[in-house]
Amino acid sequence: MTNPAERPPLYRSGDRVIAGVCSGLAHHLGWPVKNVRLAMVVAAFAGGAGLAFYAWLWVLVPTADEGARRAARRPVSPIAPAVNGESGPRPAPWFTGSGVNGRFRYGKELLLGAGLLSVAGILIAKQFGADVPLGTLIPAAAILGGAAIAWMQLDENRRAGLVDKTKADQAGGWVRLAAGLALVVAGVLVMVSGSGSWEQTWLALLASVAVLGGVALVLLPWGLKFWKDLEAERAGRVRETERAEIAAHLHDSVLQTLALIQRRAGSEQDVVRLARAQERELRGWLYRDQAADAGHLAERIKSAAAEVEDAHGHVVDVVSVGDAVTTERHEALVQAAREAMLNAARHGGGPVSVYLESSDKGSEVFVKDRGPGFDPEAVSPDRLGVRESIIGRMKRHGGTAVITSGPDGTEVRLKLPAAAPEERNGEGRS
Amino acid sequence: MNDAEGARSVRVVVVDDHAIFRSGLKADLDARIDVVGEAGSVEDAIRVIAEQRPEVVLLDVHLPGGLGGGGREVINKSAQLLGSTSFLALSVSDAAEDVVAVIRAGARGYVTKTISGAEISDAVIRVADGDAVFSPRLAGFVLDAFGTSPAEIADDELDRLSARELEVMRLIARGYSYKEVAKELFISIKTVETHVSAVLRKLQLSSRHELTKWAAERRLL
Repeated sequence: MTNPAERPPLYRSGDRVIAGVCSGLAHHLGWPVKNVRLAMVVAAFAGGAGLAFYAWLWVLVPTADEGARRAARRPVSPIAPAVNGESGPRPAPWFTGSGVNGRFRYGKELLLGAGLLSVAGILIAKQFGADVPLGTLIPAAAILGGAAIAWMQLDENRRAGLVDKTKADQAGGWVRLAAGLALVVAGVLVMVSGSGSWEQTWLALLASVAVLGGVALVLLPWGLKFWKDLEAERAGRVRETERAEIAAHLHDSVLQTLALIQRRAGSEQDVVRLARAQERELRGWLYRDQAADAGHLAERIKSAAAEVEDAHGHVVDVVSVGDAVTTERHEALVQAAREAMLNAARHGGGPVSVYLESSDKGSEVFVKDRGPGFDPEAVSPDRLGVRESIIGRMKRHGGTAVITSGPDGTEVRLKLPAAAPEERNGEGRS
Repeated sequence: MNDAEGARSVRVVVVDDHAIFRSGLKADLDARIDVVGEAGSVEDAIRVIAEQRPEVVLLDVHLPGGLGGGGREVINKSAQLLGSTSFLALSVSDAAEDVVAVIRAGARGYVTKTISGAEISDAVIRVADGDAVFSPRLAGFVLDAFGTSPAEIADDELDRLSARELEVMRLIARGYSYKEVAKELFISIKTVETHVSAVLRKLQLSSRHELTKWAAERRLL
């Protein structure tokens, strides 16, 4: 797979004739500005399509400044550069229409049921000769219904806002708002005019809709701007919180370590150890895998390596492939690996490489150093380190340990098959 | 590594946004390396590389400027030079997506910033010779992505590692140098390099389902 062509994000440009839409678009598409402008003008004569498109972009596309602020607001992520390049500008939020969420299904049915029941009640009452003022009831019901629809949408929006801030069902919301508004207006008109004359009501309705439309047209830009400001402020607050959290972490860890390093500048050993420990801690914080469980094998091996590193000031690099849930037998593997790392840090030279591979067949750990090496056969029987803690421990848990040593260094290979014979399991607790 | 190469000097451009790191690296690199240019941002890097046409670019994964694509963007924008210029990624990042992204963009290898000057020099020479450089961690990522069971059928050649390639990757992940790998498997260093280059090619070209899934889980593609 090759990387898709990277495009500059779509922003309104500062180099502008009207609102910088054309030059921004040209920059985004990599076309000459003149062509884009010409195309826009031609399109404007095609039934005003160009004008509509221009206006639409004007409203929705941020200026370069706004864009930069927005980009800075993106959640801080250690891997952001790898991800951001490809994602580019986000599409306008209300494009991504989504289905109506099912939360209000019951509410709707209840409302409908209640409405039908009351209609039925009114009809029955009429049958029995009761004088029902239909002329008042119907508009009142229309007003109530319209208000209910409009308010329901507000409530749902707020809830959706908590769950998902993209406002994906904005389109549905507008339709609902309009429907509610129409119902309420119609109801009010019928009630106020009181005449019940259909023609008169119809005219009044048209007039009021026209007035409302005009007001909306005037207020829309203001409303949009207000909404955008609100969004910007909310995002700003989120960023502020994130920043505070990061600052707190850096203060607790990195700044403390830097202060310590300055005070111990004389001792190279201490400085290296501090720097390394801090590096490990910061890495753990930045690249921590949310899914990684502290109880898993890879995590255990890594923490064992960290202990050895702290104790001996010796770099221990851990590479792991696959992972497994630790059992008692894995615990033995971790302990044996730890012992091997300790030996490597104590006697070996250069960095210690640890490689862990887990699959459903079993787990293997390799610990390699670049020390002068030793003869495993010549290790005196009283040295418990290798014989007991590594080889013996692995054997008791149904695994194997092989130590190879040469002038290039020593490697300890620990292997633990997935399933051990039962009787050995019991023996291991001695 | 190889004494015959001692006379040769490789033209290198160092791209890193920290001036301190650049000067430290220049001091660390040995006599076989001739640093002909430096850059600290995506735009500078693209310009300097186009001007100098170095054999090798030591490229930091995270760089300011450009469209925010960092090292990957530099490689993409210098794509027409890929035939004559090789990129060696250099990073403090442990994140799989950072590393694999630059490799898939066309880098010939990846080393961490903590390795010694002699090791970086060796890696530069190796990349200049057209070979690939794998750190233990990159080998670990490859094994993680491709799985640890060998390919049996020939037709998914791009999507799996052969038994031999797996062995080589495992040994590199265990911290073996190419020389040690060759000794361990009773093959020549040249053969090891061939295997590693083949793995690099697979990593760059494979559209394997699992690799995509693996990368997607790490928000890469």
